[in-house]
Amino acid sequence: MLAAIYALIACGYVLVYRVSRVLNLAHGELMMLGAYALMLTAAQFTTYWPAAIAAAVGLSLLTGVLVYLFLMRKMTGEMVLAAVLTTVALGILLRGVMVLVWSAQQQYPAQALGVANTSIALPGGARISFFSALLILTTLLVYGALLSFLRFGRWGIRMRAAGQSPLLAAQRGINLHAVYALAWGLSTLTGALAGILIALDSGLDQTMAIIGLKAFPAALVGGLDSLVGALAGSLIVASAEVLLIHYVDPLLSEVVPFLVLIAMLVVRPWGLFGTREELDRV
Amino acid sequence: MSEPLLSVDKLEVVYQRAITAVQGITLSAQQGQIVGILGTNGAGKTTLLRAISGFHGTDDARVTEGTIRFKGRRIENIEPHRIARSGIALVPEREKVFPNLTVAENLLVPAAPGLVLAERKRQEAQVLQFFPKLEELHARTAGLLSGGERQMLAIAAALVAKPELLLVDELSLGLAPVVVEDLAARLVQIRRELGITVLLVEQSAAVALEIADYSYVLENGRIVLDGDRARLTNHPDIQEFYLGQSSGKRRSYRDVKQYRRSRRWYG
Ligand SMILES: Nc1ncnc2c1ncn2[C@@H]1O[C@H](COP(=O)(O)OP(=O)(O)O)[C@@H](O)[C@H]1O
Ligand SMILES: [Mg+2]
Repeated sequence: MLAAIYALIACGYVLVYRVSRVLNLAHGELMMLGAYALMLTAAQFTTYWPAAIAAAVGLSLLTGVLVYLFLMRKMTGEMVLAAVLTTVALGILLRGVMVLVWSAQQQYPAQALGVANTSIALPGGARISFFSALLILTTLLVYGALLSFLRFGRWGIRMRAAGQSPLLAAQRGINLHAVYALAWGLSTLTGALAGILIALDSGLDQTMAIIGLKAFPAALVGGLDSLVGALAGSLIVASAEVLLIHYVDPLLSEVVPFLVLIAMLVVRPWGLFGTREELDRV
Repeated sequence: MSEPLLSVDKLEVVYQRAITAVQGITLSAQQGQIVGILGTNGAGKTTLLRAISGFHGTDDARVTEGTIRFKGRRIENIEPHRIARSGIALVPEREKVFPNLTVAENLLVPAAPGLVLAERKRQEAQVLQFFPKLEELHARTAGLLSGGERQMLAIAAALVAKPELLLVDELSLGLAPVVVEDLAARLVQIRRELGITVLLVEQSAAVALEIADYSYVLENGRIVLDGDRARLTNHPDIQEFYLGQSSGKRRSYRDVKQYRRSRRWYG
């Protein structure tokens, strides 16, 4: 369950990093924004909750594209570090705005939509809540879709090409802005899916951005430019977290992902599946 | 003579707002011609081709003077992908293929968007007839190709976009003479069958003079000499300093330097 959450969030980091070499440190906030967008759409589509989710996800896709077009696009040609700092600033700004608009109180979009989070019995006696099950299913679907899109899709191949050599990609007629905007859009979309499903499962408040940040080590352990790596990294980080909480101390929950990250960076700085890269320009 | 397909007029290119790499180059290419650009290391050949194919943000380079016209339209300082779409394709000097993509994927990237599959396949087949070897290497990762195969792939990928003007930066660089012979012959065949215009940059004057209809000699960012094949192959300076056929005694390094200096006043 935790692994699925991390994996769904981590693929957003990977998407943006892979095509533009930028770490999007506002991913947690963008994910939270997606969840709050559900509160908005919930008010519109009170009768049919999948429509509300679809609308919120659509809004998030648009948000990601706009973030690229109006903010990150200006960073083209600047140092990667400057672009990363811009995402940090964006994250802080978004968090501030979200507190102002939605307050710091815990909210329950599932209640707003009038869906019960029934628990489902699994074979073997375990139980899982409906939205947890949906989240795991979504993660699998998203990874399947993304992997085949990058492997076979016209735009997927273009995204890989632009990630490898932006200059040659442009010389071959690829509009880099379109590719980057697409990466940001897809990244924000997957992040929002995670945010929305977590909010439906266990409520929504300002701590959600922390979950987003905890998924970052998962992406990094996997190697940042590899989707399969992100999946493996999420499994590792989540297992470590669950085991340590169980056997050592529940208070460790917040730090475990980062401990794993540090351990990983010492042993293999480019991650499990990543490629060794030097720092590059945007 | 009709209006040239490409005409460059008094072009000046500046890197990092400080380094002038090309100063006042004027040249043109007629439809269907192979035009050679000769010159030693650092003469400004790559800069010239990059100016025509468009600078990227990270290049930190700009056309500061002069014009580049392609089919009558001005294209200086336009984004590379727009220039590519307008019918100019570049075979770059260094990063010329996507190393982690397969040969097939490399050929897929440049195809015009919105093309139906059948049309794309037909276009690819037309290009591959010039390079049958690439067909066998379809599933191979481009980074694993040999230098000659990589050059073939780069040319093929440039042609898939159906360009009217093909810019080739150093056809022969780092390749064995037999491979270069073969590639040069393909280029002539491509020009003949597709009717496209080729701008060929070469350090090796022998290769360029063999296939180019008309050539320009670049030194220190200026054109110091130009002419058709007959004129240049018989020109004493070309024979001496570019083809290395010294008649009689070899000249000393000082003569070369003297020659360089005298050339500087030409441009
Ligand atoms: N990115 C760059 N920044 C600054 N100067 C450059 C850059 N690229 C090339 N130059 C300079 O421009 C001149 C011409 O280089 P180039 O066009 O690569 O020559 P060629 O291709 O004929 O060997 C050289 O003096 C080189 O040092
Ligand atoms: Mg060069």
